[in-house]
Amino acid sequence: MTAPTFNDLVRLSASLDGQLSSQELSRLESEVKQNPSLAIALEDLRQSRGILRQMPARRVPRNFTLSLAMAGIKPPLPRLVPAFSWASVAAMLLFIITMGGNYLGKLSFGAGAPLMAAAPMSSEGYGVGGGPSATQAPATDNTQSNPTEQNLVGKSPEPTPLSESRLAPPAAAPTPKQPVEPIRIISYLFLGLAIVLIAIALLIRWINERSFHRKSGKETE
Amino acid sequence: MNHSPLWCKITMMDEPELIQAAKHGDLEAFNTLVLAYQTIVYNTALRILGDDNLAADAAQETFISAFRALNSYRGGSFRAWLLRTVTNACYDELRRKQRRPTTRLEPDNEEGDEVETPRWLADPNASPEDLLDQAELEHAIQHCLDDLPTDFKTVVVLADIQGLDYSEVSTIIKKPLGTIKSRLARARLRMRECLQSFRELLPAAFRLEKERGI
Repeated sequence: MTAPTFNDLVRLSASLDGQLSSQELSRLESEVKQNPSLAIALEDLRQSRGILRQMPARRVPRNFTLSLAMAGIKPPLPRLVPAFSWASVAAMLLFIITMGGNYLGKLSFGAGAPLMAAAPMSSEGYGVGGGPSATQAPATDNTQSNPTEQNLVGKSPEPTPLSESRLAPPAAAPTPKQPVEPIRIISYLFLGLAIVLIAIALLIRWINERSFHRKSGKETE
Repeated sequence: MNHSPLWCKITMMDEPELIQAAKHGDLEAFNTLVLAYQTIVYNTALRILGDDNLAADAAQETFISAFRALNSYRGGSFRAWLLRTVTNACYDELRRKQRRPTTRLEPDNEEGDEVETPRWLADPNASPEDLLDQAELEHAIQHCLDDLPTDFKTVVVLADIQGLDYSEVSTIIKKPLGTIKSRLARARLRMRECLQSFRELLPAAFRLEKERGI
């Protein structure tokens, strides 16, 4: 009676699981008959295998089904997403228009002020080579000469109160009336509309996420 | 033996359709598969890790990973694919445990060394009825499994406890058939040696004789 080798044990173990060919199996069976130590080893392996196969399966402590969050599924986009996108674009355009309008308005009003301030001065004949002002009536009398013509014939101009007024601070000049700024009102309207659109977009998003989380919470339960 | 009727039903009927639907993001279809395979996945993790909570975590992690990696599944046995995922999850957990070793339950002997035999678990005052209790036997088997090297334990869990055939085990752990055969033979012998300490707990048909050896 010789002790089984490791190779014998592998063959014996495999024979229990039907992993030997019929030829290998018949050869092993004859060896087992001749060698009682092989028979003992086979029995031990069979018992060990039998005990392990009798091991009961435990019940799962809980279901392992996945919730939407576990699966990494994000909330679906709301149905109003296309409108939502257009709302964003519209809001952005209105915002740009508002900001641009404000900026342009400032520029235009800022540039207009000196011109308007200069207009009455030129009407009073201020400046060299200045033509008649737009408000001045055309001369009908030939004897009445233009003050500029007088300057052109070489008469040195006498100091007049006008030249003094030239040095006077601009505050002395009559201040023009500030015109109504309609562009500002439109800007405010657009800005308000943009804020409303953004608020609606955020509200839709919030409602959608809330309903999604409620739904995923129910599924987890 | 460990296969639930639900698993059999799904395997025979509409598993490919469910997998296909799950691949397209149908979570309900995937959850049907989860319900079918959760017992085998959980029990595999439980026997490899030897801890209920860790096994539950590994099983959950397996299904999450499986859902996310479902597109990498290219046919074949879905059960083997899932078991490979859970086996890898268990290996990761065991490696983590090795990095953070915990105190074993075994008592020390007079020299301060750990008592390696599980004989201390058997209660000498317990009645024969108690000794025959299934929970005790399960505990003893689990103890012997925990003493096996991880590679041997995985093979014995898959082949003997879960009842998979060698080719499926080979697919799961990605080792040749010869390796499966030799590991299984070694594992069975080591289990037999360990279980000798619990022979009172074993059913009469499986009593091992202490004197016998190879």
